[in-house]
Amino acid sequence: MKHFAQDTILEARGLGRTFTRGGGLFQQRTFVRAVDGVDLAVRRGETLAIVGESGCGKSTLARTLVRLLEPTKGQVLYEGNDIAHLPARDMRRLRKDLQFVFQDPFSSLNPRMTVGAIVEEPLTVHTQDNKTTRRQKVAGLLQRVGLRSSMADRYPHEFSGGQRQRIGIARALASDPSVIVADEPVSALDVSVQAQVINLLEDLKSEFNLTLILIAHDLAVIRHMSDRVAVMYLGEVVEIGDTETVYGAPRHPYTQALMRAIPVPAPGMRSMHADLPGDIPSPLNPPSGCRFHTRCRQADERCGIDGPTLETTDGTRQVACHHWRKVTEDQTRQKQEPPRSVATAKRFSLYREWSRKKMSNGPSSSPVVTTTQRKDKNA
Amino acid sequence: MVESLEMQSDVTAGSRLLTVENLAIRFKNATANTVDGISFGVDRGETLCIVGESGCGKSISALALMGLLPMPPAEIASGRISFDQKDLLSLPAKTRADLRGDRMAMIFQEPMTSLNPSFRIGDQIAEGVLRHRAVSPADARRRALEMLERVKIPAASERLDDYSHQLSGGMRQRVMIAMALANDPDLLIADEPTTALDVTIQAQILDLMRTLQQETGTALIMITHDLGVVAEIADQVAVMYAGKIVEQGPVQAIFDDPQHPYTIGLMSSLPSLGERQSRLTTIAGMVPTIDRMPSGCRFAPRCPFTTVTCEAQAPALSAVSDRHLAACHLAPLENHLAEAL
Repeated sequence: MKHFAQDTILEARGLGRTFTRGGGLFQQRTFVRAVDGVDLAVRRGETLAIVGESGCGKSTLARTLVRLLEPTKGQVLYEGNDIAHLPARDMRRLRKDLQFVFQDPFSSLNPRMTVGAIVEEPLTVHTQDNKTTRRQKVAGLLQRVGLRSSMADRYPHEFSGGQRQRIGIARALASDPSVIVADEPVSALDVSVQAQVINLLEDLKSEFNLTLILIAHDLAVIRHMSDRVAVMYLGEVVEIGDTETVYGAPRHPYTQALMRAIPVPAPGMRSMHADLPGDIPSPLNPPSGCRFHTRCRQADERCGIDGPTLETTDGTRQVACHHWRKVTEDQTRQKQEPPRSVATAKRFSLYREWSRKKMSNGPSSSPVVTTTQRKDKNA
Repeated sequence: MVESLEMQSDVTAGSRLLTVENLAIRFKNATANTVDGISFGVDRGETLCIVGESGCGKSISALALMGLLPMPPAEIASGRISFDQKDLLSLPAKTRADLRGDRMAMIFQEPMTSLNPSFRIGDQIAEGVLRHRAVSPADARRRALEMLERVKIPAASERLDDYSHQLSGGMRQRVMIAMALANDPDLLIADEPTTALDVTIQAQILDLMRTLQQETGTALIMITHDLGVVAEIADQVAVMYAGKIVEQGPVQAIFDDPQHPYTIGLMSSLPSLGERQSRLTTIAGMVPTIDRMPSGCRFAPRCPFTTVTCEAQAPALSAVSDRHLAACHLAPLENHLAEAL
């Protein structure tokens, strides 16, 4: 599944998005450069994760990439064509290819539309299908995401968070897109439901040959789902590379701090933590030079004056830090859970085996049908 | 269940702060208890994590402990809560109000909604001190400043006159902690205090809570769905599912030797930071709603191991080892089930 094609499907060049605040009669105008000069190439068929703390601009970048927000600077190339300045009419045609899954399944579905109508809408806009065909497709899509086709007549409020996220995914799939941007698709969900939706997204990605841009703050989820990861801090990409490389040996001091802060579900594992002092500075007034220098231990005088640019360090990994050579790797270690005892390991494997068996035994009485069940029924 | 609880309280009788026995909470017109007979104890200075997913009853239980549960529609269907030798449920409302914010305090998930946007944060902290202590407003303000310094808010004396909207999420949660600890409570209940925060800020807050707890000896009940947070901060763990405690014990035992299929399922659902798995193991289906609560084991409809017994009869919490309890007919699984199917 990894990099079956190397070519680029979507690319940002010097992409920037500035928000303006104030500017009324008595107010001074202020500017927030939420995304500032980002260069990023998304490869066909990959899952690229964008990670960072609140306010780092990851959601703005994702929205700008598919032009849900107009960029104020730079270019976005989709299949080699600049879409940053396309007129609205042409953009509407492209919407078919570029779809979005939102974080909050409670506010992103129209409460006055039935689930069927919500999923059908992209088909009405983007295809020539007649009503019967559309209805059939909606039924198929709902089943594919693990809902019953009879649920098409219900309204969003009748569904749980996980089910609503499935509806959002079905809607995004309806127009047969090539790129899906998922902005924190599982962060509002409970752990067990989160795992179901992650599996669903991964299955759909390979089934529909999708390119997935994943915005998330849960570093374990990103590790599990993505091929490459871009780390953002205050509007800039500070490190980008293969997920294994970045997680194995992060080079940017910010990435290292993030990795160390991950809570590990094993007692006594997060020994070196909370070593990133303070809050992320206000994007209204970002620090000069390297934006991370106010919280960085490696920072020297130069960092406060001169902002580093991304440079290639090893393989395809790029890091924006003057000191990446000095930042030793032994400060971080690969995090993992300690090994389990024989009895415990047996219990986990029993759980896995029996779950698989139960799911393949046909439909359960529970309203949510998991993806594994679906597959087995098709078989 | 009750047996093992008594055994525990004998061992640590001197330091036991809170004992909850067979607590059941029911909402008006509901067909089943939302919280169904939970029992646990907390020692002074100890941290108990109650872990579970949305709707398992963990927040409702916390509100009941605090006496903040709206009654009606809720009612305590059965049980006893004993706090510092006092039988909480039989106390008059006024006495409970005196305890609240003084001997027991609570912090909530979303600090923005629990801080009053139209009062300065210094005044909000001082208000709690004035309510419970015979001090002058100036002393209360001094205490507020001292608390802001203790929760490591930079330039605390300037922040004292800030409004909550002027602070970041992490700083707001620090203010909440300052407010909760202002009267040196014996028990602090924290309901998902780090869920809305970024990982680096979450690490700061957990660090802070642990440090303060060591300094003050406050017992902590932390309500969370995040097993990473549990591993980080808990001494004791209670895993809740659909209104019942399905497993409880010392943190090391829960993580090293999980017994209940729900605990194992939860741990399996987490993406690993170590080796990359191809697919996540999941827990099928979802939490039953209160009107469709199974009469036997409440986890039975989602459990891969369900037997006829599980559907007929709810398992009692029983000891699997010293102080480690699980409510499963099949525990330990490896003795009851064969891997080859």
